[in-house]
Amino acid sequence: MNRILAIAGKELLHIVRDPRTLIAVLAMPILQLFLFSYALSFDVKNIPTAVLDQDLTQASRQFVDAFSESNYFTVTQRLSALSQADGVFDRGEDRAVVIVRKGFAERVAAGETGEAAVLIDGSEPNAAQLGQAYATGLSRAFAGRVTAQALLAQGIDPKQQGGIVAHVRVWYNPEGRSAFYLIPGLIVVLIMTVTVQQTANTLVREKENGTAEQLLVSPIRSIELMVGKLAPWVGLAAIDVVGITLIGLYLFGVPFRGDVALYALASLLFITGCLGFGLIVSARAESTEVANLLAAILSILPGFLLSDFIFPIRNMPVVIQFVTYLFPARYFMAINRTLFLKGPGLSVLWPQFAGLAVYAAVALLVASILYRRRVG
Amino acid sequence: MSRRRILLLIWKEFLELSRDRLLLPVIIVMPLLQLFMFGYVVSSDVRDIPTAVIDHDLTPASRQVVDAFANSGYFRIVARGQDESGMKALMDASRAQVVLIVPPGFGDLMLSRLPAPVEVVVDGSESKTSQVAQGYAQSILAAESSRLLPPPPGAVTPPKVPKLDVRVRVLFNPGLRSVDSLVPGLIAFILLLSVTLLTSQAVVKERERGTLEQMFVTPITRAEFLVGKMLPYGIIATVQVAVVFTVGTLWFGVPFRGSLAVVAVGALLFLLAGIGQGLIISTLSRNRYQAQVASMFIIIPSFLLSGFVFPLESMPRPVYLITYLIPLRYFLVVLRSSFMKGTGFGPLAPQLFAMAAFSAVIFGAALLRFRKKLAD
Repeated sequence: MNRILAIAGKELLHIVRDPRTLIAVLAMPILQLFLFSYALSFDVKNIPTAVLDQDLTQASRQFVDAFSESNYFTVTQRLSALSQADGVFDRGEDRAVVIVRKGFAERVAAGETGEAAVLIDGSEPNAAQLGQAYATGLSRAFAGRVTAQALLAQGIDPKQQGGIVAHVRVWYNPEGRSAFYLIPGLIVVLIMTVTVQQTANTLVREKENGTAEQLLVSPIRSIELMVGKLAPWVGLAAIDVVGITLIGLYLFGVPFRGDVALYALASLLFITGCLGFGLIVSARAESTEVANLLAAILSILPGFLLSDFIFPIRNMPVVIQFVTYLFPARYFMAINRTLFLKGPGLSVLWPQFAGLAVYAAVALLVASILYRRRVG
Repeated sequence: MSRRRILLLIWKEFLELSRDRLLLPVIIVMPLLQLFMFGYVVSSDVRDIPTAVIDHDLTPASRQVVDAFANSGYFRIVARGQDESGMKALMDASRAQVVLIVPPGFGDLMLSRLPAPVEVVVDGSESKTSQVAQGYAQSILAAESSRLLPPPPGAVTPPKVPKLDVRVRVLFNPGLRSVDSLVPGLIAFILLLSVTLLTSQAVVKERERGTLEQMFVTPITRAEFLVGKMLPYGIIATVQVAVVFTVGTLWFGVPFRGSLAVVAVGALLFLLAGIGQGLIISTLSRNRYQAQVASMFIIIPSFLLSGFVFPLESMPRPVYLITYLIPLRYFLVVLRSSFMKGTGFGPLAPQLFAMAAFSAVIFGAALLRFRKKLAD
């Protein structure tokens, strides 16, 4: 215990002696959460759109208005010929072109089929997919209004036609607010990136400074070294978690429906797991360059990709689903979502808590074994 | 500038890097790992959403609606019951993410051509699944509505109503394959990651070891030193790009429609911008750890605010203006346009020019800073 405290004290001294780094470590995740929660959103709005109205009638204008009045499309320019559409996409000026064919109004008035088209730039599939869905939905709604008007004109009440009425309700986030999706997930990603970086360097530095041998001749055991190295960073990361969470709750109005004590426990387990993960990197790497690269790669991408944050784990290929268990992010992601948005506690979340606890213990153990073998 | 001295410096830098046995594997294996992970994770579609069903009606019509959900491939029925509170527990535990409720009397209402409500409850704690579930539920119900509705009694000829034929077409990537836009994006991101992380260490490392002064008592000039110091990382990055490019086009079958010259010029300018960023971090930092924290401070916002994952247009105005300062943003447009649209130099001139200007400014600043630092 004494030896652990000594190492922890020494590590703390290293941290405190470098106030620039200390500030960066404390401020970075908080700043980033603030920036990203404000900036990022999963919906696609204001898709820049060009309009080619070959009909130029009241009906065609109404059709175009249906697009420009929605939040999804913003009309930036009007074209006069179809040949211009290519240039628009090539120069990346617009991502969609709405085209109304000549004779649109005449055909609709005669009870025939009016023709229009929407072209969407597919080079960003995410935005294109949503743009496609919005365009289809807006056209369908417009067609529905046209049909209803025609039926009314013929003395038929379109409301008396029957059929399924879909009532779709969204629980936990009824208004579909981006911050509710983002913040519980961003907490996981930001804490993971900052913590893995922190410990990834510490053992390598001892090696490069030549102090690793000194540690070797001291009576300290390698697991004690690991715990001691980790302890002060746990404190720093805990401050980050508190800061980030407070911003989420009070600035962005994200609800917290679960048990705060459970959240604190989960955060500590997660932080320990991530720091242990960083120690594994540090025990293997021989130079700070490699330690940095490995830490960045093994924290940013898995944090985003293998945590269920944006891409559901359920739909990944089975091999990758197994890989997700190797990173602590997926457990904490499930815990965070449930505690913030849903509410139940250990009765539902015990597998995730067990996962985090086992992860933290195994990571520390593996790091100390790897380190001992390398130095010894 | 002496070519021999620069070559010597490059040789020295590679010698130092190769002393770390892990570095070369990390440099080559890491981009591939990212490509495979990203490629498979991002291209997986949302399917088999766990769904609970409460059918209060139990008529042929209600069963048809439930079957339509089960057979769509998007919903997988995990529970059936009559008890809505039991469903709440399933949603809380994330065992079901959608509940489909058919109220009693549904079949009768349909038969008598009256509006027949059906309820769909969607778990709103996860963005992608919730959006997809809402969309598919709506369209399945719309399709079933017209299939189940009996023909109007006594109607001889259906009323003549106008229709709309709106073709929504996705250009360049009609199948909306995410991997097609991902590979170009990943090339840019890997370049940024390794160049920034490695170059930011380059100068600060010499200073930490005290070898920077040694360097300047030799006949090596400052310009030679910088060129010799930075070129190795340019070479490493080029190798990485080539690896990702080859595997992406061959393994994932990503089409490349543009010219290699455009990509090469874009990559060169982006590389300069990245090296400039790394260099300025390296001259501003006192030790390697600070340099690493500062790099992460550039890499994560670049990743999130460049349009790589989150669409730029949806960002609030102030943040949108910030994105103009992110070189990755321009390089992404160059790469995506080259891969998907085959765009030439002309339309991409603004992007290339922006990167050139960014590199000039950042390099100028780094050089100035470097000179001043040495004078201290």
